[in-house]
Amino acid sequence: MKTGLPSRWRRAPYLVAAALCTLTTLGTLPLRGLLDLANIVMIFLLTVFVAAVWLGRGPSVMAAFLGVALFDFFFVPPHLSFDVADGQYLVTFAVMLAVGLISSHLAALLSERTAEAQSREQETRVLYQLARDLGGALTADQVADITRHFLGAVELDVTLLVAEASGKGVAFHEFHEYGSHRLNDLEYGFARSAYERGTIVETDPLAGMGVAIVFLPLVVPTRVLGVLALVPRSDDVDRVRALRPLLEAVASLLAITLERLHYADAAQDSELQVSAERLRTSILSSLSHDLRTPLTSLVGLADTLVHRQPALDEGAIETAAIIRDQAHAMHHLMSNLLEMARLQAGSITLNKEWQPFEEIVGSSTRLLAGLLASRKLDIQVPRDLPLVDFDAVLLERVLCNLLENAAKYSPPGARIEVLARTRGEALEIAVGNDGRGFPVDRIDQVFDLFARGEREPAVAGTGLGLAICKAIVEAHGGTIVAENRPGGACVRFTLPLGTPPAMDEEGTS
Amino acid sequence: MNETTARVIVVEDEPQIRRFVCDALRREGCASIEAATARQGLDELARGKADLVILDLGLPDMNGIEFIRDMRSWSAVPILILSARSAERDKIAALDTGADDYLCKPFGVGELLARLRALLRRHWQAGEASPLHRFGDVEVDLSRRIVSRGGVEIHLTQIEYRLLAVMLANSGKVLTHRYLIREVWGPGHSEQGHYLRIYVGRLRQKLEMDPTQPQHLLTETGVGYRFQS
Repeated sequence: MKTGLPSRWRRAPYLVAAALCTLTTLGTLPLRGLLDLANIVMIFLLTVFVAAVWLGRGPSVMAAFLGVALFDFFFVPPHLSFDVADGQYLVTFAVMLAVGLISSHLAALLSERTAEAQSREQETRVLYQLARDLGGALTADQVADITRHFLGAVELDVTLLVAEASGKGVAFHEFHEYGSHRLNDLEYGFARSAYERGTIVETDPLAGMGVAIVFLPLVVPTRVLGVLALVPRSDDVDRVRALRPLLEAVASLLAITLERLHYADAAQDSELQVSAERLRTSILSSLSHDLRTPLTSLVGLADTLVHRQPALDEGAIETAAIIRDQAHAMHHLMSNLLEMARLQAGSITLNKEWQPFEEIVGSSTRLLAGLLASRKLDIQVPRDLPLVDFDAVLLERVLCNLLENAAKYSPPGARIEVLARTRGEALEIAVGNDGRGFPVDRIDQVFDLFARGEREPAVAGTGLGLAICKAIVEAHGGTIVAENRPGGACVRFTLPLGTPPAMDEEGTS
Repeated sequence: MNETTARVIVVEDEPQIRRFVCDALRREGCASIEAATARQGLDELARGKADLVILDLGLPDMNGIEFIRDMRSWSAVPILILSARSAERDKIAALDTGADDYLCKPFGVGELLARLRALLRRHWQAGEASPLHRFGDVEVDLSRRIVSRGGVEIHLTQIEYRLLAVMLANSGKVLTHRYLIREVWGPGHSEQGHYLRIYVGRLRQKLEMDPTQPQHLLTETGVGYRFQS
């Protein structure tokens, strides 16, 4: 697998180191009589040091040993022999070797650090450039392009898999795939595993060239956004392994970029939503105004005919009264529709205040005085009920709708009861009547929009009333149920009690 | 109205509504002056004696609240607001700025005339308030601070009495929560809306036949209260 060229290159520094030692020997040999042996040792040490700085650790270690050997052979008496006449030279050899090894180690360390710092700087610069390019990216496509271009420079093909924005638990067919290399099923499996576990998946390069072997999850603190799959263009797997710190940095840059794109999209979406909401609100309010104005004229003008002096004939008065009442009914329907539209749009803001529930009982029965006049009202609201936090206008609407239903679906003279009591952590209000009750097979659907209690209703209505009640009660955190009881129907709803604000009692006077 | 002919200015941009309102006013014996814009309404008001202003809040040329503020700086003529049912906030703002009562669209002629009569009566009786008030079986003598029901004296706390007195003094008029709190508890108590509601409840229990269906201390939901004798 190894070719000749790299091993020859790898051996070259050793040859250079040997040559250096040889040169040193040849250069100092003529000075043998002139210089102290101690100075010659110094020259050899210098050689080792130079080798360490230029050639690295291995060659300099070799130079240290070779230097000791040459010094012994050529300079220590007896010359041209490894024999040592004076035992003291053994100390010289040992020190020379130790100093040579230590200095070679230090010098090599220094040059290694320098090289490392240089490569790190290079890497940082490259990553910085990538970050800058990614910073300008506006779509996942651009991100993939930039990444492909960047990693192409290190002989890697990439495929970027981005999970759908919906987030967690994404099945792999929901990935968007970017890149030139189409992943096969096996690769997809690895990608999915990297995505699900949030860890790097590396495969054995058994499959050969042109197959993704490293799968880096794109992780941001809260979730995994996708996977970066890497396909080496050559089969030099070790090089890919060596690049791994760089690749991890690239993956985290990609994750941050995708996250940024995601939030940019989300911000744009919510801006759209806000303006849609504003549009809807303004349509609703102008609709409400534009419909109410002609209805007001209709009601008023018809009523003028009813009260006209001198009076019209009876038939004309009756007709005018019908027109007036129908216009009222139409207004009622329109208000319900608009209210439901507002409630459904979710744009309703509750204007909650702590107040006794009793307040809206009185105002509701007064609003419906005409309709309720022919029924027997039985109101049981204990005096000592706690205050409840609710929107009086909306809850009045609930109560009015329920009372109206109770009156509409009961014969004249029937009893209508309103019952309030605390039950656990809630206030429970029941509105019931004497009548036929809800049709048993439809009782679960009475709160659905446009649901009517009866298949062919004899009583006018739209099926909005109870749906509105449900929306309002639920907006308050309460529940509402419809049920039949002996002799009639009953709708019960709850409002959470909470803790009313404190109140200082005044001293009696 | 018998005493004099009341002059009523109707400020409403919708001609059909203006038409039936003015028609009803004429039948009631009032002189009606029509104004299609706020500017016109203020001009009419400045030109001559008026006893009542009926004002649509949604005018094309001026915000209704501005109209009221403008007018209130130099005129005490009662103002009856015409507004949409769901617009509590507008109503409260109008009442707090100086309007006297409101009517929700669509409204019948009967309702309109009832409000009109109540406001004119208050307007003409201003300055000759009597210390004696009677409603249901309750008698209130403000000069002697005595409240009795069916001939039996009823004890009211200081705050209850003050609240009742404010409401009696503004009989027939809608009083916003804010106004009542300021009048009874003084400024700086606006956070204590629940006090007002509790005290109204107590007054009802002491003075109403059926506190759950009050006939005199009426709730104007989302807006405030009204005393009706």
